[in-house]
Amino acid sequence: MEHIVGVADMKVSNRTDDTIVTYSLGSCIGLVIYEPQVVVGGMLHYMLPSSAIDAVKAESNPFMFADTGIPALFKQIYELGAEKSRIKVFVAGGAEIMDQEGIFNLGRQNYSALMQILTKNNVSIWKQAVGGYSNRTVKMEVASGNIYLKTSGLGEVRL
Amino acid sequence: MTSLQVLIKEIKNLKPIPAVVIPLLDVVDDPNASMQDITKVIQYDPAITADILRTANSAFFGLKQPAETIQDAAMMLGTNHLVDLVMLKISAEVTKGPQKGYDLNAGALWKYSVSSALIAKQVADQLDLPNKNSIFTASLLKDIGKTVLDKFVQDAFEKIYNLVINENFSFMEAEKHIIGVNHAELGAMIAKTWNFSPKMVKIIRNHHLTSEIMVREKDIAVVYLSDCICMMMGMGVGADGLAYRFHQQAMDYIGISAEDTLKIIADFSCRMGEVEELLKVA
Repeated sequence: MEHIVGVADMKVSNRTDDTIVTYSLGSCIGLVIYEPQVVVGGMLHYMLPSSAIDAVKAESNPFMFADTGIPALFKQIYELGAEKSRIKVFVAGGAEIMDQEGIFNLGRQNYSALMQILTKNNVSIWKQAVGGYSNRTVKMEVASGNIYLKTSGLGEVRL
Repeated sequence: MTSLQVLIKEIKNLKPIPAVVIPLLDVVDDPNASMQDITKVIQYDPAITADILRTANSAFFGLKQPAETIQDAAMMLGTNHLVDLVMLKISAEVTKGPQKGYDLNAGALWKYSVSSALIAKQVADQLDLPNKNSIFTASLLKDIGKTVLDKFVQDAFEKIYNLVINENFSFMEAEKHIIGVNHAELGAMIAKTWNFSPKMVKIIRNHHLTSEIMVREKDIAVVYLSDCICMMMGMGVGADGLAYRFHQQAMDYIGISAEDTLKIIADFSCRMGEVEELLKVA
């Protein structure tokens, strides 16, 4: 079954016939985690770096923000038996509009928020496709852990 | 024939926009216009009237009693909503198809147009700008040029993409360089053929703020900001990606800070389910 991760949304699965996909990331970040031994995968599509701008929304939908969504994804993956030492992390998105500088550069802020959390928790990234002006779509097959990346203007590749 | 001559010919062959649009835009921008003035214009077009009543009576609007006339619909939905609904219907007709050159599936450009129009209206409300309806309509129709330029973009895609990736051209600078016209200019030409007001033509031509002077036009800045927000949210983003120029001066001019844009994004994301429902009934 194909599960679509919407904007500000997350899906985790250990069913081997499942595929998880998120479309059109823009400046949002698609965070993908896979653990091959217990065969579990998850995907988060968050939009904004910090829940500080709206605590009420963070409460009702933690997947909107990096600081509330990322811990939620890791938590669910671990609950399904994943081991930190075996996880594979893939990151896509964080694109920017041309000449979008500083605090207006949402893509870069979204990526920095992720890096802070990963660094603090000693988690490294396996592969990434971030920044630039491209729009991206990511798909993962739970059985194999294969990840497919579609980049606007370039088509789809398997990573 | 040059590409430009072919494009001009294509514009002339475009299906005309329903006649109700121009008088409706005139009347909604007139602060002295009454609800009756507005409904009179709409009911002049029986096809639109029937369509609007069907939509107004759908479960989405949850009316307690069915609206049997346009006057009923105006009373129950409010004239502002009614006008927006007419414009939504019309934009659907012209933007719903797929745009292969821009790698947009059927419905993607329409969804994006509706989303950016709703954001533009929200910002226009926040800034208490007059002409909210024309800002909404301009946002809905600003990318009409893409529907005609599409085939040309498809044919010249490699050249355009190369300029964006290797020469730091924005996508529309590359369109202009390779094809001779960009989608905003072409959209303005179409709007002109449809007899849109000079103000509306100007917003469509400048919705990516190609000239520095346009940064200081609030209506244009709001349409521009809503477009940037949609791009950041990945809505309606196709082969052109986010390769358009950002002009912070426009945000500064209308007094929208970086934090405000994040809040607009957070608010709008909660309305996306509503947008999906609206697209189904409209």
